[in-house]
Amino acid sequence: MTTLDHHTSVRPVPNPSKSLITKLNMGTGLVVGIFFAVATYYGLGGDSAGVFENYNRTLLATMFMWSIGFMVGIGAFIGPFRWLIGKDLTDEEQLYLAGDGQGIKRYFKYCTDHKVVGIQYMVGVMVLLGVGGTMAMMIRTNLIQPGSKFVGPSIYNSLVGLHGITMIIAMIIVVTGPFGNYIMPIMIGAADMAFPRLNALSWWVLFTAIPVLCSAWFLGGIPTGWTAYAPLSVQAGPGMNAFIATIIIFAVSTAVAGANITATVVAMRAKGMKWNRVPIFVVGATMSVALAIPAFPTFMVSMIMTGLDRSYATTFFDANLGGSGWLYAHLFWIMGHPEVYVILIPGVAVLMEIAPVFVRKPLFSYNAAIAGFAGITGLSVLVWAHHMYMSGWMPMLNGPFMVTTEMISVPTGLIFLVILGTLWRGRPWLKLPMLGVYAFLWNFLIGGITGLYLSDVPADNYLHGSMYVTAHFHYTLMGAALTGALAGLAYWFPKMTGRMLHERAGYISFWLVQIGFQFLFLGMFIAGAEGQPRRVADYSINFATSDLISSVGAYMIGVGMIVLLWAVIHSWRHGKIAPMNPWGSKTLEWTVPYPVPLVNFDTPPVVTSDPYGYGKASN
Amino acid sequence: MSDDHGLVEMQPTPGQKLAAIFKQREVRVATAWGVLVTFIFFIIGGWIYPSWMPIAMSTDMKSIERLIVIFTWISAPICGIVLGFSIYTFLHRHKGDTPPVDGPGIRTNGLVVGLWVIVSSALCLVAIVYGLIEMNSASAATAEHKKNALVVEVTGSQWAWSFNYPEQGVVSHELNLPINRPVEFRIISVDVNHSFWPVQLGVKVDANRLQTTVVDTTPNKLGTLDVKCAELCGLYHAYMETSGEVMSAADFNAWVTSHQGGHTA
Repeated sequence: MTTLDHHTSVRPVPNPSKSLITKLNMGTGLVVGIFFAVATYYGLGGDSAGVFENYNRTLLATMFMWSIGFMVGIGAFIGPFRWLIGKDLTDEEQLYLAGDGQGIKRYFKYCTDHKVVGIQYMVGVMVLLGVGGTMAMMIRTNLIQPGSKFVGPSIYNSLVGLHGITMIIAMIIVVTGPFGNYIMPIMIGAADMAFPRLNALSWWVLFTAIPVLCSAWFLGGIPTGWTAYAPLSVQAGPGMNAFIATIIIFAVSTAVAGANITATVVAMRAKGMKWNRVPIFVVGATMSVALAIPAFPTFMVSMIMTGLDRSYATTFFDANLGGSGWLYAHLFWIMGHPEVYVILIPGVAVLMEIAPVFVRKPLFSYNAAIAGFAGITGLSVLVWAHHMYMSGWMPMLNGPFMVTTEMISVPTGLIFLVILGTLWRGRPWLKLPMLGVYAFLWNFLIGGITGLYLSDVPADNYLHGSMYVTAHFHYTLMGAALTGALAGLAYWFPKMTGRMLHERAGYISFWLVQIGFQFLFLGMFIAGAEGQPRRVADYSINFATSDLISSVGAYMIGVGMIVLLWAVIHSWRHGKIAPMNPWGSKTLEWTVPYPVPLVNFDTPPVVTSDPYGYGKASN
Repeated sequence: MSDDHGLVEMQPTPGQKLAAIFKQREVRVATAWGVLVTFIFFIIGGWIYPSWMPIAMSTDMKSIERLIVIFTWISAPICGIVLGFSIYTFLHRHKGDTPPVDGPGIRTNGLVVGLWVIVSSALCLVAIVYGLIEMNSASAATAEHKKNALVVEVTGSQWAWSFNYPEQGVVSHELNLPINRPVEFRIISVDVNHSFWPVQLGVKVDANRLQTTVVDTTPNKLGTLDVKCAELCGLYHAYMETSGEVMSAADFNAWVTSHQGGHTA
């Protein structure tokens, strides 16, 4: 292939041989991180103190020091340190950090190339989804029949919480991590992200959170679910510290990544890419991360307060001493509801990017799409207390929160209009990415409409806290957002790996996952109607049928996801070599060869229209 | 929208435009699919889904059932439009390994977008107004209940419910209630958050530590009650359930008499 001429590895590898940078990688990060952690743990007396607060303090400090130590060891602070002494990295060092020509090794280094970070995120997401999915299989196995003793209530509760938080973290980064980092800068014609070193920072900080989260297993698990409501979280065992530390570390990562992506889109667009020419995926991803920037700090703050209550005996959430559990619920949901749209919008935006390509029609009403995203983003910060209708906090405010919540259905309706309008009078080419659009239409329809019942205060009297809620948010987060992310995987796989995704395996996986999904969560809607509370390790005999249906569906998803994993690994190594633009798309990322050159474009592109100029112009 | 009339000078009115849209064969076929989908959702929402819900034993539960039915009926046409048009395009897909030829370059259609926004806002408004009316009648009923309500103090603790009837001097782990008498639950937790959920009565409220929450209802049907906890509260959350009964006034009085003063279950 002629594109091999551009292969970056034929250029001489920069070799700033005396620099410390060349010596550092994931291995040194692990060594220093573990050293910091061990020194902190034993320095603070380990668990010998035996006092609840002391032990929590020790564990939290150990986890944070692990994270800091890892970042020191991998060289994250070399740049800032140079600044402190009035210098900066040399050009040669900068180029070395970009990982040019370093082959597979650069994936294990503090690499500033956005394409490397994108792949790191993609592998990280796949690991998280695998771990979270395995937990889901264990949950459904325990619920396959009443009285099951597969794991028992203690482990079950931990599974529920860790499945929840693992999947939430995975879903927050599932689109903006891999595609936001790898594809988006190319899509807007940029050479890299606005802050390449922050980009590496966001990934490696997130990486340090993964072992912390896993350590919850070895510290007795978490009994609280991912919502981590106080006072349950304050009385919980040492595993809770892992949850707290994970959220705080993750919040740092998302803040850095969000600021970076936003700055990139604002400042780094190609010449001629006016705001009304920006691909809709870029708009969606940017709105999502921009929404995360104000939302996540409240979660971080709530976790800092929980940590203080646990390790310094403060009483933020202790009603006995003037605190309030409702305070926690507010802080949590002020993050929690925007967060579901942080997850949803990028997935939808991927599908809006895909639909015009495979229907060969312009995106229907670009402005309506923007209005839909903007309306959702704006309203999403005003609806959080609908999670607290039944908490007893201010019943008089339930009405206003019901109104704001139901108003979200109007911008959400615009999303449907845009996709349907794009499909209409076209002949969709049902490749794997396009199938995702159809799956989304069904799943998000069900997810959206069932949300209407939950937003309604009287109906929520029955549905709140039941399996109905679980089914509803899986339809939106998994049925809509994850479907969008997987469609994005099928769509951009050729650009990210240079190879086509195995088609037959992709179809098999798609249908297994989507059909299993319907069994799983339609069954769960029935369980909710019958009155089964959510997050229960066991249930009475009258829910047996619906739970059995759900478990069967879960196994179908499990098999489908294993097929997909096989397809990804197999295609990455042995797949058919992809042409430069296999789908005939008009966005900029398809104008660059694989492997994508270090600075993406040989000559900076100039944009003269939006990327949806399909068909003969009318209207 | 229709390219056929692109050369006609006179501007058609929105009504004429709309009529022209519906004259297209593809719109009619898609609409037919939509009507079928709407009908299916109408049946599911009106009869199948409610059949899975437990027997309503209070007016609150009855109004929840009605509300769920009506919301599904409001949503059914939306499902019809979205799925009808989706099904149509899915059935008219392009087959083959090369991309299809370009479709019509429709960028937008002001009439369709405007109509869509108006209709979805109207449906949203109906849902909001209906919900507010239901909330209002519930709170009006609450004011009415205050007069002659049976007070039950509900205490949630890890992992059991207990019910104190202060006027009757009864403490029980079963929730027994007389029929057709308003009951006011005053709910509190001694440890973490729980959520008090007498399933068939259609009410639910959290049990918070040191913060009494109040909810009321009127049982109007004899039968067995399931009381569950709807907020994850630790190890045995799943087993934090008990039962009870809505009984005739005479039976209730007899039960009260036999349990007065004692702490029996």
